Amino acid sequence: MCIELTTPLSEEAVASLNVGDMIYLSGEIFCGRDAVLPKLSAMSQQEIRTLLGKDLQGGVMFHTAVSPAGVGPTSSNKLEIESSIAPLSAKGIKLHLGKGALHSDTVRALQQHNAVYAVIPPVTALLGQQTLAQTVAAFPELGMEALHLLKVDRYPAIIAAAKGRSIYE
Amino acid sequence: MKPTKEQITELVSRTLIAAGSTFREDKKQAYRTAIARETNPQAKWVMETILANADAAERNQSPLCDDSGIPHTVLEIGEDVAVTGAMLDAIREGIATGLRKLPGRPMGIMGDDTQRIDQSGGLDPDSAGVAPAPFLIRKTKENVLRLHIMMFGGGPAIRAKTYRVFHKHNVDVVLNEIIDWSKEAVAQLGCSPCTLAVGVGRSHFEATAMMLEALADGCYSQQSEMERRITEAVNASNIGALGLHGDTSVLATFMKVGPQRASGVRVVCVRPCCCFEPRIATVDLLQNDSCQ
Repeated sequence: MCIELTTPLSEEAVASLNVGDMIYLSGEIFCGRDAVLPKLSAMSQQEIRTLLGKDLQGGVMFHTAVSPAGVGPTSSNKLEIESSIAPLSAKGIKLHLGKGALHSDTVRALQQHNAVYAVIPPVTALLGQQTLAQTVAAFPELGMEALHLLKVDRYPAIIAAAKGRSIYE
Repeated sequence: MKPTKEQITELVSRTLIAAGSTFREDKKQAYRTAIARETNPQAKWVMETILANADAAERNQSPLCDDSGIPHTVLEIGEDVAVTGAMLDAIREGIATGLRKLPGRPMGIMGDDTQRIDQSGGLDPDSAGVAPAPFLIRKTKENVLRLHIMMFGGGPAIRAKTYRVFHKHNVDVVLNEIIDWSKEAVAQLGCSPCTLAVGVGRSHFEATAMMLEALADGCYSQQSEMERRITEAVNASNIGALGLHGDTSVLATFMKVGPQRASGVRVVCVRPCCCFEPRIATVDLLQNDSCQ
């Protein structure tokens, strides 16, 4: 049975998730990858609020570009992406969405901030049908690697790191 | 009858869209078989989702994956068929048209040699800015001008390997090396279950060309003893779909062994094609066949 989650994610909802849970994710989610995530990670909470008009609390970060071809996960264990997971969790991101195994340090950092990591199949055609709206949220000069905000309906994913455990163990 | 430039462009465009959006029937059946025997519920769910994605992409004629890939081609030329430079240009134009219609991800890098390496020249906003790889041309006895288009993603390119193997006059040595490389590559890839593409040649170029031909000729329902052995050995490693553990890490292996030299060395190319690849479609540019 799949768990239905809607953003913003509450502390309780995230705390109830376990490795191996299959989820459907709905609501607004951020999208970013190698180019934009280090920029966002380096910003203070106040700078992020000024940039976006809101904070990241309860948010989801999908590791993807947003191009005319659609969306799909890139490898979350690429240096610039994985190194963003701890600082963005500290700033309120509750669920990081991508693919591939994370290092143990990152899994521990997720636990420390009551955040989780989920893998999403690279099913671009299905995700396109389940994407209701998309806008550029910040850094438009980065094109398809800009920070995007999507409104999505029931994106499928599997919890791959939670409570200090990883599905790849 | 020699096709016109317009006919070639249209056929190639349609073939590229089919390659980027469609699973062939033997691949669909390979997934159905893998889903039926999968014992890990998460891995089964992932493969069901991948198959549902293929149905949606085929229906919409839209990309299977947002990394829509770099076009790679194998052109088969029949005994008495003449190919001109203008026909090759028409094929390139058809590829560009297909990339715009699919649409492919605009990921061509602009600029001079230095800028294309460090990506400082910026991205070409045109999907057709993704130039195809050099054409691989081979002769066939059939009276055809057959074009295979394959769309290669970045993940498998990162994990692929072409290197020498000292065979010690024992095929097991080479196969075991291929299996070891494949286990490591599939585990790192993320987007499994894979199709392993293997070429064995006398040089890096030849091994890679054999790998490409293996994909052009490969069929999920027809596996040689060596192909089956590689697949079974990698599947025993329990990597599974998306690396979540499970019974199917590899759907099949497509392998081609080229001519070899009198030497203790074989050059082996292994590409761990992702769950969507080879993303292939084929057309006979003389017969006006529909894409398959």
